[in-house]
Amino acid sequence: MNAMDPSDRPVTTPVGLLRASRRQILRGALLGTSAVAATRLLTACGGSSANAQVDPGAKASLKGKTISLLVNQPHVVAFKDVLAKQFEQEFGGTLKVTAAPYDQLTSKQILDVQSGAGQFDVFDYFYFGLGSLVAADALVDLTAWIKSQPDIDTSDFLRSIWDPYTLYDGKRYGLPFDGDTHILFYNAKVFDTYKLDPPKTWDDYDAAVEKITKDSHGKVYGAVIEGQQVPMILGCTFINRLAGYGGSLVGSDGKPNLNTDEAVQALTGLINVSKYALPTPLQIGFDQANSAFLSGQGAMIDTWTDMALKASDPSMSKIVDQWDAVPLPVGGSNTTPRTALDAGFGLGVSAGSQQQVEAAEFVKWATSKTNNLAVASKAGTGIDPARTSVLNDAAYKKSLPRAYETIRTGLVGDPLAWPSGPDDPAGLQAMCDEIALAIQGKKSAEQALSDATDQWRKGTSG
Amino acid sequence: MTVAETTRAERGPVLALRSTSAGRRWRVARGTRRVPFLFAVPSIVGLMLLMVYPTVYLLGLAFTESNLARPLQRWTGITNFTDALRSTAFPGSIGRSVVFAAAATVLVVVVGTALALLLRARGDRLGVLGVVLLLPLVTPPVMVGVAWKLMLAPVGGAFAGIWSRVGLDGFNPLGSSTGAFLTLLLIYTWQWMPLVTILVFAALLDVPRDLVEAAQLDGAGRISVFRHVVWPAIRTSVWAVLVLALVLGFKVFDLVVVVTSGGPGFSTMLSSFFIYRTGLQNSYEIGVASAATVIFVAVVSAVMAIVGIARKRAVAES
Repeated sequence: MNAMDPSDRPVTTPVGLLRASRRQILRGALLGTSAVAATRLLTACGGSSANAQVDPGAKASLKGKTISLLVNQPHVVAFKDVLAKQFEQEFGGTLKVTAAPYDQLTSKQILDVQSGAGQFDVFDYFYFGLGSLVAADALVDLTAWIKSQPDIDTSDFLRSIWDPYTLYDGKRYGLPFDGDTHILFYNAKVFDTYKLDPPKTWDDYDAAVEKITKDSHGKVYGAVIEGQQVPMILGCTFINRLAGYGGSLVGSDGKPNLNTDEAVQALTGLINVSKYALPTPLQIGFDQANSAFLSGQGAMIDTWTDMALKASDPSMSKIVDQWDAVPLPVGGSNTTPRTALDAGFGLGVSAGSQQQVEAAEFVKWATSKTNNLAVASKAGTGIDPARTSVLNDAAYKKSLPRAYETIRTGLVGDPLAWPSGPDDPAGLQAMCDEIALAIQGKKSAEQALSDATDQWRKGTSG
Repeated sequence: MTVAETTRAERGPVLALRSTSAGRRWRVARGTRRVPFLFAVPSIVGLMLLMVYPTVYLLGLAFTESNLARPLQRWTGITNFTDALRSTAFPGSIGRSVVFAAAATVLVVVVGTALALLLRARGDRLGVLGVVLLLPLVTPPVMVGVAWKLMLAPVGGAFAGIWSRVGLDGFNPLGSSTGAFLTLLLIYTWQWMPLVTILVFAALLDVPRDLVEAAQLDGAGRISVFRHVVWPAIRTSVWAVLVLALVLGFKVFDLVVVVTSGGPGFSTMLSSFFIYRTGLQNSYEIGVASAATVIFVAVVSAVMAIVGIARKRAVAES
């Protein structure tokens, strides 16, 4: 007879499917307890620290220096083809440029510092990721340093972007680099064909989209609506409309609030017009949207201003002489054209950098009037002016003859800024999820916006 | 008594033991036992680094207030778990992952096995067809996703002309909830079915020809031959392939990212994508993402345990 150790006798679980010996159960319990204890220990190790500062009195020369940058993918041309050449010419130095896709940029910047790798000196950061970067101690506090630099001329930075791009919790963490806004591009030839005027209100826009799609029997779609479920795509599409209706993402108490008439009107319009737009909006991202407009398949698109350069380039566009641009329409009781600060970038110094003074000097140099003009005027850089002097410069105006006035109107106006707290990226994602459900017809506009507000306030992304 | 004398007195029994032949044997035995342990040290260290540390760290993140910026801030008990389970997307994503993995496994195994049987009927070698079969398998999933997404584009896509001819201008299967889920399932099947085909084909090569011929001489039809001769011979291999396919089905992530990004709405939001999105994209809620991972692992383990029991029974019956 086989004598079995009592501790090895199998114990049948209630479901009767899994069998384990008492010894195995004890081992499991021990492992669980150890894991909890280890967790407590790890928690004790997770400390926090204040953001470092660049000493205002410190001086550094960029001569012969190598500066490493982590930048947004579409900005590679600006850094490699414009700034790197200029940097080498002026200082005999080198720019080491690493690009990251837009949806990974902030997390890569946080991880570079948090992991201790510290590979980069300068971050090209999304302004609405500023709170996340500051919370991660990934950016150096430049408040005192900026004040100590008489040659920065902070008053020249566009007032609409100066604070949203650089200020968080009373401190400045960078200088504005790319003043991104959206405007409405349209295919003038299609509008002539269907005897339409460019829309001034969102109602005009909705009517034009329906007419073009119906009358062309699907040969041309009235609009390209970018609805992929991420803040940078669907978020921009909704916020453009919200701005036009005079709405805001936060209430008077400073907390997220989408339970407003303006937000409901904006979303209702978006839901209604989606069925006449290029199919199927919730699956449309940048590439499909741009190619549909540039090939003449979509009559309107609200997107970044650099579409003007793409639409004018015969190698990319079939509508070179057919496009035009107007400010984003208005709606509801709002009658003043208003754009939104969709995306937008600043340059900041990485807390992991071993040469923070030099990095700060580089930020100053790269955001100077001369260099901002150079990058904003070159096709393919994806950079818009960040300075008033550049926006008013004849050379910049010459580079974008058709869209210039529209871009200027948007940037000097009162554009709607996105909130940039550490919990806001999660809230913006929750907003996109709920808007997508509304466009799908699974929720009403009111319900979706109410749920989005609740989730955003709780700081969760759904 | 001096210190040296005291120490010697304390060591007395040990020294006495060592001086005997039994002591020598004990020493040798202990040394012999130590050798295999020493050989195992690299594996143990590797295991600790690759398995134990990440698991403990994952649990640490799951039970603490953690985000990408500041991990392990404060012990929060099961808050992250309740947050994950109360979120709009996660509970549904678990069900969707289970349905996707189960459906994908059935599709991949059934179609793959059928194809393997057809190929085996042609002969012993796959030849050029084998290379063609391997193509989807060796193509990176991201490329597969991009290619399919371009083909399915409602305007300018490879299928746009076909849809137009049948009166479905602008049709995009990715535009509706059911369509997107089924499309993802089909793309996944297209990619992984060849793996099953090749593995089952290899198993079929081991089925004795004479047994098949004997059954045929006895008047057994194709279905009878398969049921009574071929299936019992390949059953164990097919079960192993099924388990592998199930694991792959739960792991699917890249296709979701590229083809649908979890949409439209939450219709293709599988747990793996939810975890990635929560932890690393936009919200950086590493604590909630880790708790979701723990829950997902538990669900996957339960499903795998059930399949394991079913497999054991099926193999035992054979």
